[in-house]
Parts: sequence; structure tokens; C-alpha cells
Amino acid sequence: MRPSRLLEIKNLCLGFPGRKGTYTEVLKHLDISVRPGELLGIIGNSGSGKSMTALAVTGLLPREAIITEGEILFDGEDLLKMKPRSRRALLGNDIGIVFQEPRTALDPLMRVGRNLEEILTVHGVKDKEERRSKIISMLSRVNFDDPEDIYDRFPHQLSGGQRQRILIAGAALLSPKLLICDEVTSALDTVTTVEVLDLLRSLCIEMKITILFISHDLSAVENFCDRVMVMNDGHIIDCDNTYDILHTPRNEFTAQLLENAKLNPHSLNLVTADCDYSASPVMTGRSLSVGYGKKTIISSMDVDIFPREILGLIGCSGCGKTTLAKAICGLLPYQGEINIKGGRPGTVFQDPVSCLNPSHTVLWHMKEALRASGRSKDKASDMELIDKVLVEVGLESRPLNRYPNELSGGQRQRVAIGMCLIAEPELIVADEPFSSLDATSAAEILKLLAKINRERGVAILLISHNLHIIRALCKRVIIMNRGSESETGMTSEILKSPSSIAGKALLEAERKLHGM
Amino acid sequence: MNRRYIDSRRIFFITGGILLGIVILAFLVSLFWTPYDPNTTNAATRLLPPSAEHLMGTDNFGRDVFSRILSASKYTIFISFSGVAIALVIGTLTGLPAGYFGGISDRVIMLLMNSVMCFPGILLALVAVAVAGPSMFNVVWALGIVFGPTFARVYRSGTLEIKERDYILHARVMGVNPVRIMAAHIFPNLMSQILPATVIGLANMTLFESAMSYLGLGVQPPEASFGKMLSDSQAYMTRAPWLIIFPALMLVFYILGLYFISEGIRVNNSRGGIVR
Repeated sequence: MRPSRLLEIKNLCLGFPGRKGTYTEVLKHLDISVRPGELLGIIGNSGSGKSMTALAVTGLLPREAIITEGEILFDGEDLLKMKPRSRRALLGNDIGIVFQEPRTALDPLMRVGRNLEEILTVHGVKDKEERRSKIISMLSRVNFDDPEDIYDRFPHQLSGGQRQRILIAGAALLSPKLLICDEVTSALDTVTTVEVLDLLRSLCIEMKITILFISHDLSAVENFCDRVMVMNDGHIIDCDNTYDILHTPRNEFTAQLLENAKLNPHSLNLVTADCDYSASPVMTGRSLSVGYGKKTIISSMDVDIFPREILGLIGCSGCGKTTLAKAICGLLPYQGEINIKGGRPGTVFQDPVSCLNPSHTVLWHMKEALRASGRSKDKASDMELIDKVLVEVGLESRPLNRYPNELSGGQRQRVAIGMCLIAEPELIVADEPFSSLDATSAAEILKLLAKINRERGVAILLISHNLHIIRALCKRVIIMNRGSESETGMTSEILKSPSSIAGKALLEAERKLHGM
Repeated sequence: MNRRYIDSRRIFFITGGILLGIVILAFLVSLFWTPYDPNTTNAATRLLPPSAEHLMGTDNFGRDVFSRILSASKYTIFISFSGVAIALVIGTLTGLPAGYFGGISDRVIMLLMNSVMCFPGILLALVAVAVAGPSMFNVVWALGIVFGPTFARVYRSGTLEIKERDYILHARVMGVNPVRIMAAHIFPNLMSQILPATVIGLANMTLFESAMSYLGLGVQPPEASFGKMLSDSQAYMTRAPWLIIFPALMLVFYILGLYFISEGIRVNNSRGGIVR
């Protein structure tokens, strides 16, 4: 008889010893049970222990992690008491995992086919032809039109969404009973997110794979999972079917999470500055062409950004949004003309991990920004200015002597914004500043950007794939497709009835994802 | 239930510290005191086995081995540290800009560095010393130049990786000049790679120095170095094994100590790199 629970985590406690004998508890008496054949979502803010749970189940925990209590039952057997050898055999065969970052998960020197073949070889499929035919059929299973062609490609020739599909194919090759998806859609844009979710759902139904879907993206969870667990601070605080959790939250934390996830402009009180489109633009770009080496990414684009406006820039991934942003910041050589008022623009990048230098303190970062801007005067007035800016970006605790690794993602993003502000730019280029943050921090950063725009009158070029955010913040929007502008105009009109194919595709994906 | 977790860092650091400590203690003592003059010969005390009077015995010239060990540690430490310092300077000044600027400057610099690396290091060092004349300072220079390219490579690969990080892009947009970006923004982040490379460099340099002294091109007689002591005692290996055992042990202590410490640093760094 099969147990009624495929995976059952009981009372799991896990932590890390820190320096000087301290101990940080990451999972606190965690209880999770997964029924066979279901799509279970786990949501929660970053640092709540979601990923650690996935790693604990797969046995991929960092070496110094200590499990102090509890058991992990898979199909009735305790994984923690298993011999490492039998546990390894279980991985892949019975438990598969797909991670967030599709860029680094494939060996760049191996063709896709070899990458996948490795999995079958390890798990004892000896015959070469059999391996090949299995892989080809799995590739067509994950919706590749020409699996033979994909088989012979190198990972760098594929887009993020394609690579994520390859990884899912790899995990599904051995038809595991349980597939753990750890933030699989976080690095993808809306269009590809929808594709990947559709694929996972069909795998779940047709191959009878149970899926544990870990995400901080509530909209992905909403239309995908049967049941949802809300995780906070190392344990589950709420668990029910998706509809109930997401429509009638029973505790304050879940409600807050939902509220933030919606990024509702009214509840967040996002008031942006009024923009005068007759004024002379703060930035003009004329017939811009940008490329890496011989490859042209952007061809003859015109961009105007007016004072005090927040201009949205959207488009599917790989369309050249980031390339354009880099050219505007002067990080890439370009042809054409870029004029920016008031010197260098400020920049806020996507990744809150690498936006600050890990070797230096917050104070050093602020001082360096001040020094580079040439506004540094004497020590006392510098400190006063730094203090003022830190308060402005919401770091009232003034973590001057802290290092970046002691700060949360949201706090780091705040420091990065503070570094921009200290130079008093007229334009800030923000490239996906929210997409790596959980809903709560994203909402706060969003509020902060609106406040900066309102109070300082700084123009912001905002790149995002979240149309909610674009609607909430931007009056005007540019839709990019394949390195050129496919349409531009007022957000209210364009995002209601786009005329370009790219615009329609974006909207369609959003509708599917958010069920609007 | 602490069964899964043993702090290997501590074991590495303690073992390495003890081994290295022995050599460093010898070095410190030798600065102020040796039981006998390490270079004074005495025909009456030739090849005496270890005793209370001569802790490690005497060599074929009647010199006290313990005193010579103490003074040899001085040269070993001096040569390895100053050689590594020169190699580090060469590596920093070439590898950082090569990695940061890329393109033609990278190719030229790395071509030079690689052409140095084409030759077996010991051969190059031997030729350099043979041409410039055997002396301790020439050994230091030669070793510094031979080891420079290794560090240049470490710096270059580290820089290549770090210069793509967002905080470096940030700094460029802020208008920080390239020299400052390299010195203040990139350099501190290379420490985790440079530190173990440096410690391994110290160990390798000591081995090179010993080999060169063994071949007669390193520290010149009558001064002692571990390698020199080994080569001098070859002929007496069976009659007076203490002549070979003690310098060899010191060499092993020094090099193993350095390796353990570099291993400890490496493990420590990889721990720090884990982001939950």
C-alpha cells in the first residue's frame, strides 16, 4: 500500500553554526506534507527558509548545516537515516530538482544532448541509442519544435526560458515521483514564465509527477498550485488550497504578503511627480545602435526621457532592454547620440547580491559615491549628507559600519539607491530593481522610487517585466522587441490595446499568469 | 547531535600554526642568540652525535647543527617572504590591468607572462642566478621573477570575474577612475584568492631556494640554509644521519605548516561564500 503522503517533513530543525559559537536557526520545527500527484506551492519572503527546505529534502545542504531534530519521510522512508549511497540513488530517480538560475546549471562546454545524457548514464542507461531516443522524445515533450536541433546546441545558444525547459526535461527524464522547483520562474520574463508553468502542469498530469513549487511570485503560484503553504521565519504559518489562501488570508502575515504582491498603486500610495512633456528632455538618444563585438543588439532607436517622468521600458527577455540601459549609462560603446542633462545618470541594477562591494562597509560605499561625484567637502558636512541620504532611502538604523553580507536584499538595494542619490543625478536608470526581491521588499523599494521621483523630481528609466509595476508607476512606456522600439506612448492606452505583436504577446502572457 | 559537523578550519589552522610556529620561533631566536657561532669550524668536534652539549650534533666541520638550523631558518624565511613580495608586486602590476582592460594590453601582458612560464621555473631561476652571480639577493630576485607570472594569472582571472559584477559597473557609472577601481574596488575582493596563493607561493619558493642552495647557487657558504645543509651532508648520510634529519624536518615543518594554513584559509573562504 502506498502511503497517503509522498513526502512528509516532521518537526525539522536546521541551523548553521556561526562564528564565535553562535548558532542561527533556519528551520524551526517545520512540518510539511505533500500528497502524491499534487502541485504544492510554498511561498514566503526571502530568508524564510524555503530554499533550505528544498536542499534538505534533496540532501544538498551546505556541509556545515546541522539538522538537530526531525525527520524527512519520503514514501515512508526516513531520508535522514538512509545511507548516502541509497540516498544518491533516490535523487534523480525518485526526487528531481530544478533551480532558479538556468544560466549556470548546464555545463557550457557540453552540448545540450551530452548534458542530458550524463543524467541517464549515471542512472544506468547503458545503450547509447536508447539514451538518445529518450532524450529526443523528452525534448519534444517539453515543447521544443525541433528536438534534434536542440540536442546538438550549446547552452549559450539558448535563451533563459529554453534552458529552464532543458533543465526540467533533465529532471523529468527519469520520471521522478517528486519534482522540486526552487524559484524556477524568478529569472524568467512573463511570457516564458507562462510557458514553463504550462509545461510543469502538463508534466504533473501526464507523467503523474508530484511538484513542490517554491516561489516568492504569488501570481505564478495562484494559477498553478492546488495547495499553498505560507512559510515565515522557518516554519509553516498557513496551509490550505490556493484559492482560500490567496483570497481569504487567515493571518496578518499572509494578508500583507498578498497586499504587497499585488503592488496595488492605491494601497501603496504611489504618487509620482507630475511630468511636463513640453519641457526639454533630460535625456535624448538619437539613432542608437549598440552591440557586442560584431553582433548588433540594438539598431537605430530613439529615446527621450522628460524631466520628472518615470518612463517604463518593457519587452520580453533578450530584446535589448538591459543593453540599452548600459549604453545610456556609458557602459557599452554605441553609435548615435546620447545627451544627458546633469552629468552621469544614477544606476540601480537587478541583483541585490552583487550591487555592493562585499569588501567594504556601507559608509565606504557612500563616501566613494560622494567622492566620485565631486561633491565631497569637509568631513562633517559629508557625514551629514550621507546621514540625510540614508534616512531618505529608509535606512533609519544607519548601518554605516555594516558589510553588505550583513544586510538583506532590500537594504542593499536601498544603499545602492542612496549611492545614486548622493550624486544628485537628474536621471536614474533602474534595471529590474525588484525582480530579485521578495514581494514585501519589492513593494518598499517601489514606494521609495516613487517618493524619490516625487520629492526630488528625478527622472527614472524603469526596466521591468512586471506590467503591474509599470502600470502603477509609469505614465509613458516603451515596448521593445528584437533590439528596436515596437511602440511607445501613454501607458494607459498602450497597455490597454497594444498595436504591436510584441505588446500583444506581453499582455496575453500577463493575462494568463494573473488570470485577468 | 553534532555528528555531521567538525570544524576542519580549526584543525588546519592549529596544525599549521604549530608547525610554522616551530620554524618562526627558530627564526626569532636566531636573531638574538645561537648556542655556538653557526659558522665557526672546530676540528675537535667533528661529526658528534646529538648530546646535551650539541642538541642536534655537529657537522663535518665541527659546527653546531642546532646553531646552524637556527640561522638557516633566518635565510629561508627571508628569501621566501621577500621573493613572494616581489612576485606579488609583479603579479599585481601586470595581472590586474591585464584583466581589467582586456583587449590588446591583456594579450601583450599575458604573452610576456606566459613566455616566462614556458620555461621550467627552476631552470630559469638557475640561469638567472648563474648569469648574475650566486648571492642571496640574486636568488630573491630570480625567484620573484619566476613566480610573478603565477600571481599575475591569479590576479587576472579574479579581475576578469569581478569586473563584470554590478558594483564595478556602478563604480564606472559613478565616474571612478580605472586606477582607483582596480585598487579600491577590485583588489580587496581578490584577497580570498591571493591569500592562499601567497601561502602556497611561500612554500614553493622555499622548495626552490632549497633546490638552488642544494645545487650550490643559493645561499653561499659558510652561511647555512636548509637546502645547503642537506646537500653538504649527503656524503655523511650513513655515518651522521642527524646532519640530514634535522634540516629536512625543519623544511617539512615549514612547508607543511604553510600548506595547512593555506588549506585552512581556503576552507574558511569557501564557507564565507555560502549565501543562504
